[in-house]
Amino acid sequence: MEPRVEFNASSERAVKARLGRKITKPIQMVLIGLTILGVLAGAFMLYEHSMAGWLVLGISAVPYIFYEWWKGDLQKVPVRTGDAIDDILASDILSQLPAQPTPKQIATAVGRVNGGMFFALRFGMTADFLLNVSSDDPAQSGAVWDNALQIKERTGSSHISGAVLSVALLASFTEHESLLAHMNLDIEDLYKGVRWFNHLQELIQKTKSPRRTGGIARDFSFGYTPLLKRFGQNLSEQIGGGLRVELDAHSVALEQLLMTFGSGGRQNAALVGATGVGKTTIVHAFAERLLDAKAKIPDNLRFRQVFILDSASLIAAAPGRGELEGLIMQVLGEAYHAKNIIICLDNAQLFFEEGIGSVDLSNVLLPILEAGSLRVILTMDEQRYLQIGQRNPALINALNRISIAPASREETIAVMQDQLIITEFQRNVSYMYQALAEAYRLSERYIHDLAMPGRALKLLESAANYGESGLITANSVQAAIEQTMDIKVGVASGEDEREKLLNLEALIHKRMINQTRAVEVVSDALRRARAGVRNENRPIGTFLFLGPTGVGKTELAKALADVYFGGEDRMIRLDLNEYVRPEDVSRLIADGAEDPTSLTAQAMKQPFSVVLLDEIEKAHPQVLTTLLQLLDEGILRDIKNREVSFRDAIVIATSNAGADRIREYIERGYKLQDFEKQLTDELINTNQFRPEFLNRFDEIVVFRPLEKNELIQVIDLILAGINKQMALQKVTIHVADDAKVYLVDKGYDPRLGARPMRRIVQRAVENLVAKQMLAGSVVPGSTIELTLDQVTTMLGGAEKAQL
Amino acid sequence: MLFVSLFKWWYSDGLHQRALAMGVRLDGVIDYFSIDLLLKTLFQPFRQDGTGKVDGPLDVQIRAFADKMISRVLGAIIRTVILILGLIAITLYAAAFCLSLILWVAVPLLPIVGLVLMILGIGK
Repeated sequence: MEPRVEFNASSERAVKARLGRKITKPIQMVLIGLTILGVLAGAFMLYEHSMAGWLVLGISAVPYIFYEWWKGDLQKVPVRTGDAIDDILASDILSQLPAQPTPKQIATAVGRVNGGMFFALRFGMTADFLLNVSSDDPAQSGAVWDNALQIKERTGSSHISGAVLSVALLASFTEHESLLAHMNLDIEDLYKGVRWFNHLQELIQKTKSPRRTGGIARDFSFGYTPLLKRFGQNLSEQIGGGLRVELDAHSVALEQLLMTFGSGGRQNAALVGATGVGKTTIVHAFAERLLDAKAKIPDNLRFRQVFILDSASLIAAAPGRGELEGLIMQVLGEAYHAKNIIICLDNAQLFFEEGIGSVDLSNVLLPILEAGSLRVILTMDEQRYLQIGQRNPALINALNRISIAPASREETIAVMQDQLIITEFQRNVSYMYQALAEAYRLSERYIHDLAMPGRALKLLESAANYGESGLITANSVQAAIEQTMDIKVGVASGEDEREKLLNLEALIHKRMINQTRAVEVVSDALRRARAGVRNENRPIGTFLFLGPTGVGKTELAKALADVYFGGEDRMIRLDLNEYVRPEDVSRLIADGAEDPTSLTAQAMKQPFSVVLLDEIEKAHPQVLTTLLQLLDEGILRDIKNREVSFRDAIVIATSNAGADRIREYIERGYKLQDFEKQLTDELINTNQFRPEFLNRFDEIVVFRPLEKNELIQVIDLILAGINKQMALQKVTIHVADDAKVYLVDKGYDPRLGARPMRRIVQRAVENLVAKQMLAGSVVPGSTIELTLDQVTTMLGGAEKAQL
Repeated sequence: MLFVSLFKWWYSDGLHQRALAMGVRLDGVIDYFSIDLLLKTLFQPFRQDGTGKVDGPLDVQIRAFADKMISRVLGAIIRTVILILGLIAITLYAAAFCLSLILWVAVPLLPIVGLVLMILGIGK
């Protein structure tokens, strides 16, 4: 495509911009110095009756004129209307460009200005990066200008800033999409970046403009408020100084507040919304708006002040019965008589609670709220609002409710962009755009006790501790959530972890015999998850392990928790034979504060874990129905309707259903893969499982009964465990091969699999070793050899004792 | 060309910017003295002293009425004093504003004026 725009370096604006750049700091100092010197010299000469003083005084105006011209025009040559590049290109870039700039020269100029530095910091698009994607051919610049014009229009920018040109330079690079994908970005993100830059520029301009807050006579007509000052915080006094951040996301709620208090109705408003939606922030913004003399607000609200009552200090000051009510009446009376006070009861539920140690001021506040003459704002969460409504419907009827919904993704990102200005200043850090997007994604998944935007802000703030050289990246946010929630969210990157993942089967087999297919499917699922190749909206893997008792179903879950998730305690185990009644569903999803052992409470605490649902066939159908969403979407709602994520867990359900059929198939010489499908059908046909339940699992894995030769390996594993325990005593136990065969014979039970084996080995080996140690025949460093005779005698003796 | 640009800017955008900057400062002075508020609330009780509904015998009500009147008079006196001070400050500032604009217009002429004064030998 032919470029439609040209750059004219000889235009008046370009010439001015270049001249402005030449007037550097030393030249500015010289201009000021010459002016002062000229005035002083002229005055002195006139004092000395030298008429040349007039001329010197007059000439001293020349450097002053140049200085003022630089300050008002050349320093930042104003943008003009029109489509010519040199009319709408930012002056700081225009001043650096030669007659026929190459894209590389444009990139160099961009790298030195605010917009370019903004993109370098927030998106990692540094000057070097832009130079690498830019060509040396001046003919290519037309395409860059063309792109810049399009981006300017698309982002609603007033001119072509360094930010717009950063994006234009990258967009002109043919392989920009793959480059952006590598940076976890797309072109839309860059457009958002331009808008973010523009928004920051506007905020800076607003901060520079003087604040008009009414002047010295503002409060002359309003009463004194000593009690309120003692028992509350004046939000209006906290305004001023520092940055003013206006959150667009709250503008609707703000307008509603203004409308409620500006009209003649009941002068109260209840801001109702989940914790973290920003109710208190809205009250702060409201207080700020009322003090802005230039704001468009009703006259009866102008210069009113918002006080947040401090419930703790009120209660502390009035310990006696009925004293608190009296004190509250005094405080509210003072607010009413002062005529300019709006009372805010933050977390208003604190003032309406029943029970020992609580305060219920409904009787005091209800008449005030109903009369509607004192302005009151209440903030509370939805749940408490409903509870209060249940207890005291009149109270709720007296309130004007304003619902504050959790912020959307776009709104949350915008709030973060505004809020991080303060965090960056306070913590001396800088956030990249990718960190913001990651904070939204991860907080949505893992932080349950707050709503958006509060939850994303909380994570963003904690990420400040994990930055590298003060720069907070997406990795910092991941590190923050990994450290605070004890989970793994990033793609496996460490050498150790990669090794572990690649050798997962071998590691699991160190503590498990055979069942290679089961081990393989579980290992594959985990590898997919950690390589980032999986559906993020489901658990890492969902498996149904079928097979007789004692074949390693639970052991595999334990091994996985131990080898990969960091210990057997990383397993959330539920014996579903305890969930056989329909009302047990509530136990499954109970609130963690009441029942920390519920499935949802444990998953909330430990989302990165193995969830083992043992003996699933015994659970009540309603319990299984509840688990369907968990298996399908990796989400379970707890009793408080909070979403609990299982998307970082491996869910393993075990069942003995069909154990006899498995044994039959194996005895008839079938291989596992041959009858898996048939077995599943049989389980459905015999109504042991509903098809929609079985279909929810990624894999149904059949465990086969262990053979005798495998049980010898099981004995070796048990012996290895015993030797590990004996390592403290520096004693090693060795059991003869024929003795092992004897142990297998004694411990083998086709119905119970390997389960009796541990008991038999304990009885034979551990007892024998204990006796030898007590007899003093074993010294540290020695090896105890156990023969067939010894084991036979031991087990025979034990059997006789049992008889 | 640059000199033309300079003078064009000085008497158009430059003058405009100067006026705007002075205007913002003048606005700040007006806000500081709360002139419009003072006028609107000139006779309102000062700090709500003596306000509020009083029930009781006639003498109590008369005393309350007197208190309120005193508060209003006190308020009017304080407000009037500030109003006068404010108006003086605003007048002075407005004069400085005008002077500053006149000086701005005159500055480019100063070298010529200086030359003329030197030739005329004013002040000798």
